[in-house]
Amino acid sequence: MSVHKNTYRAYTGPVTPLWMRVFVLARYGFAEAWSSKITITLFTLSLLPVIVFLVGIYLANNPIAQSLILKNSHRMLTVDASFFLGALQMQSWIALVLTAWITPRLISFDLADNALPILLSHPISRFGYLFGKFIAIFGSLSVVTWVPCLLLFVYQCYASTQPWAAANLSIAAGMFVGAIIWIGFLSILGLALSSWVKWRVVATAVIFGAVFVPAGVGAIVNAVLRTQWGLLLNIPVTMSVLWQRLLGAPEFLRRGSSLPTTAIVAVLVLACLLCLAMLNARIRAREVVRG
Amino acid sequence: MGVIDPVIGFDGLEVRLGARTVLNGLTGELRGNAIGLLGPNGAGKSTLINTLLGFHSPSKGTAHVLGLDAYRDRARIRGAVGYMPENDSFIGNMTGVHFVRYMAELSGLPSAAALERAHEALFYVGLGEVRYRKVNSYSLGMKQLIKLAQALAHGPKLLILDEPTNGMDPIARQRMIQLVKDIRKEGSVRLLISSHLLRDIDETCDEVLILKDGRVAALCNIEAERRSNRSFMELETVGATEKFSVSVRGLGCECASFPDGRIKLVIPENIEVRDLYVIASEQGVQIRRMNQRRDSLEDIFLRAMESEAGRPTHVSA
Repeated sequence: MSVHKNTYRAYTGPVTPLWMRVFVLARYGFAEAWSSKITITLFTLSLLPVIVFLVGIYLANNPIAQSLILKNSHRMLTVDASFFLGALQMQSWIALVLTAWITPRLISFDLADNALPILLSHPISRFGYLFGKFIAIFGSLSVVTWVPCLLLFVYQCYASTQPWAAANLSIAAGMFVGAIIWIGFLSILGLALSSWVKWRVVATAVIFGAVFVPAGVGAIVNAVLRTQWGLLLNIPVTMSVLWQRLLGAPEFLRRGSSLPTTAIVAVLVLACLLCLAMLNARIRAREVVRG
Repeated sequence: MGVIDPVIGFDGLEVRLGARTVLNGLTGELRGNAIGLLGPNGAGKSTLINTLLGFHSPSKGTAHVLGLDAYRDRARIRGAVGYMPENDSFIGNMTGVHFVRYMAELSGLPSAAALERAHEALFYVGLGEVRYRKVNSYSLGMKQLIKLAQALAHGPKLLILDEPTNGMDPIARQRMIQLVKDIRKEGSVRLLISSHLLRDIDETCDEVLILKDGRVAALCNIEAERRSNRSFMELETVGATEKFSVSVRGLGCECASFPDGRIKLVIPENIEVRDLYVIASEQGVQIRRMNQRRDSLEDIFLRAMESEAGRPTHVSA
């Protein structure tokens, strides 16, 4: 207990605009996400593939170094859409790991101690609350996906001896759009699943499960109905097909080549809508008992 | 004294949750500096608070807080209100000062000001020494106090306390009551206190709203109610009781005589108790017992509970 007798005094200072409150949530979300050593470790690990790809670009653009290091190899190292597709895929799956770790931290702490009544009694709407959390996770995932991929692209533009950038801008645009779609989907999925599971470890497992378990269901659907449409439930395959098409890379997944892009996008949109419905049901200041 | 603007107003307020009507046609205005909200379980107290905070939209009628529509202007209301929920509600893995600062920033305080106010609020409620401990390590009483600190940090115009002394030991309870009294005395904050403990409301509030089955059972100014009952008196006499009663009526008192010398009186303001003794002495009547009785909040509450549902027992502005 304090020694001094303190008196209450009203606050008469300035007040921030309403729209700024979302960024308060985002800032505290960032702080929470990055206060963990595991987050820092995952982020550090996520940079290792980037370094490998960086070395690849250096070698591809430096014939002397290439001849010294790859002297016995008959394959020439080329930097093209397939090269960047590899980088995007690698970073995207690291983003999944990061999502499974970070999103439960953003939501579960609030739910575990029933903080929503207090949080939402402040001038912040349910949408604002979720948007703030979304910014926190989306920003964190950006750091390991499209930001390093575009930095690799910029380095390739710089290192290439021939005019390269203008002819390959579609690769940068494809990487950016592909990464944005993926981390947007992951953010909504992670928030929705974390909001329904109070225990963080379980929430982490559920997020992985939500990505990989439907793939098994899709395989069963394909086998039973003798169709390829079950592949739409296989998120790794559908996302790979989508990224190939966005980057203009040759399609190496034959089994996914029959899937129309509109069907893939429709499945992603439906999944996002389902997640939003889950969030709408869960993120409330009070449990409302109806009936 | 000028007319005080109503803190809270209802006009035919009806709130339905699913098929159930939880609040049914609430009408009235609350102008007190500290307003008590009473009612048995399921009366609609928490629903009313949630409606005032804009969590529920009225199915009929309107509710106003500080002159703003409770649902339409909920963002502005929430900026001007500090809310202390009944149940545990905090972020356990944050330190006390971090948590209160976060809440203050959400209410619109710039970051530096929020930190300063968080420290002040924590010292004010008596958690200064433990402000760097994680909230989930606090005792039950400390958790109540940190909820109060976060509700106060941004300097609200209206403080809504839902069962503020819930789960507290007598010393902690007394401390909380004293804090509430201090806040009320400071004058810049109006209070709405929901409690099932009549004593808490009696000690802290000057106006009370009693709900029953989602309706207003009573809405009264506790001070005015007490004043109006100050002159109510019961006597037990021996001797010429009838003659004594007639003389007392002659003083302007309302008087009712009962067998065994019992008399009930309502004494006008200009009559002193001493005058009764003088008359009794003149007429040789012995006053064996004199009980000057005032209505307690418990009487008001019980009367409200006994009254016909939906009909307020007493309304005073």
